[in-house]
Amino acid sequence: MDTFLQQVMNGVVIGSTYAVVAVGFSLVFTVLRVVNFAHPDIFMLGMFAGLWSALHVSDNLIFVLVAGAVGAGLSGVVLERVVIRPLQGRDMLITLLATLGVSIILQNGMAIVAGPDPVPYPAIIPQTFIPLGPVSLTVRQLVNFVACAVLLMAASYYVRGTKYGRATRAVAELPEVAAAFGVDVSLISLVTVVLASMMAGVAGVSVGLLYGSAWAFVGLLYGLKALIILLVAGNRYFEGVVLVAIVLGVIEALITGYVSSGMRDVVTFLLLIGVLCFRPNGIFGSYKT
Amino acid sequence: MSLLLKVSDLSVAYGSVPAVIDASLEMNPGEIRVILGANGAGKSTIIKTLLGLVRARTGRIEFDGKHDLTRLKPHQIHRLGIAWVPEGRKLWGSLTVLENLRMGGFIETDNGKIEKGIAEMFERFPRLKERRDQLAGSLSGGEQQMVAIARALMSKPRLLLMDEPSIGLAPIVVRDIFELVRTINHDGISVLMVEQNARQALTLAHWAYLLETGQIVEAGPASEIATKERVQEVFLGGAA
Repeated sequence: MDTFLQQVMNGVVIGSTYAVVAVGFSLVFTVLRVVNFAHPDIFMLGMFAGLWSALHVSDNLIFVLVAGAVGAGLSGVVLERVVIRPLQGRDMLITLLATLGVSIILQNGMAIVAGPDPVPYPAIIPQTFIPLGPVSLTVRQLVNFVACAVLLMAASYYVRGTKYGRATRAVAELPEVAAAFGVDVSLISLVTVVLASMMAGVAGVSVGLLYGSAWAFVGLLYGLKALIILLVAGNRYFEGVVLVAIVLGVIEALITGYVSSGMRDVVTFLLLIGVLCFRPNGIFGSYKT
Repeated sequence: MSLLLKVSDLSVAYGSVPAVIDASLEMNPGEIRVILGANGAGKSTIIKTLLGLVRARTGRIEFDGKHDLTRLKPHQIHRLGIAWVPEGRKLWGSLTVLENLRMGGFIETDNGKIEKGIAEMFERFPRLKERRDQLAGSLSGGEQQMVAIARALMSKPRLLLMDEPSIGLAPIVVRDIFELVRTINHDGISVLMVEQNARQALTLAHWAYLLETGQIVEAGPASEIATKERVQEVFLGGAA
């Protein structure tokens, strides 16, 4: 039972990271109608931005997280203006291919700069364990979880409770009508990509601190998962994406704990296929695109 | 008194398919003008071109004697005081009635004015107040039309562009909607309406245009247009 609870908890921590990446990915998909394959690599850029800030500027935790957000955010601006925006209105497949190309460039570019293998992350957060009854949590896991939870709550508040968030939802559903009521759709698109990128950047730093390493190809782990989570949850409800992400994290942790880590991805894909057979629009439904 | 709207030789095409050919029309402030036409005549295209959602091939659209709308983006055009009641309502179904109204007031930055505007809309449309927190997609056709009109009024526009407000609605509801338009017009808002429902539209409007396959074939006071043979035959069911 203890192993079970421990694995569930580990799964929730890792799932919260999946949730942040998936929500950002889903937001860009829903609002811009673009599959941004480079999103997990913006996560990676944030991870490295944090790393370099920690090594060369300051190893204060908040500073490093912010550096990750800024680095990723700027990357998002460049991506949106240079790649996504010029291709707006074309077939979704075209932007998918373009962002896939960017993803490959970013991964390999970073591998040239930092090496193809994981690079150590400064140990800003101690490795201490916090015993919680039958399970124990490391301080790093706690920081990761709190950071991701804060990001998700901020994103939810933005989308549901602010004027621009409401305008974003309007653009997602009927962009022409939104434009006719004074919404600068181009600006909303840019803001959405930047916010999604900043979220991914903070999550990237947080994961770097959690595992103590940064890796040029870390996007490969998150990219496909973000897409799977989006397909399984549907893009209609924010909360659905978060729930599926956390469940995915828990399932992975349980499979790794009880079966073997090799089986982990098999289960993930079987889950995806199973859900799509019965609910092609995702469990919680999707906007019509 | 300068013209509110002056459209000169407007031509619009979708790819190589012409939708509007050399259309010219005008509006004075305070008028209700209607563009009649069958399906596919190009009515919605004119509205969308006025809104900047579709680009004109040739021609000029002058608003208030100073702005050329063919050079502006939709969000800029809205800021000039032009609001849209789209064909088929096009409410944001995933937003509540209240949120749809708030979006109508998007360009207003003063929160106090927005709240006041919403209160006014709820006073004018008490049924909507009851349904304020319901998702807009769950309302009936007539209620949705009310929301669409309220949403457009939120920005206190000078010109309201209405695209087939009667479509899909029961006759009794259509009558109420048209009465509403009359009231709105009395409040000083000019209305350019595009309609297939000629009978009711012609009793409402001051001036009418008849659009046939993209070209304006008749123009004149509404009462006069109502007596024209082609209008009689196509829309009004034969000789009066």
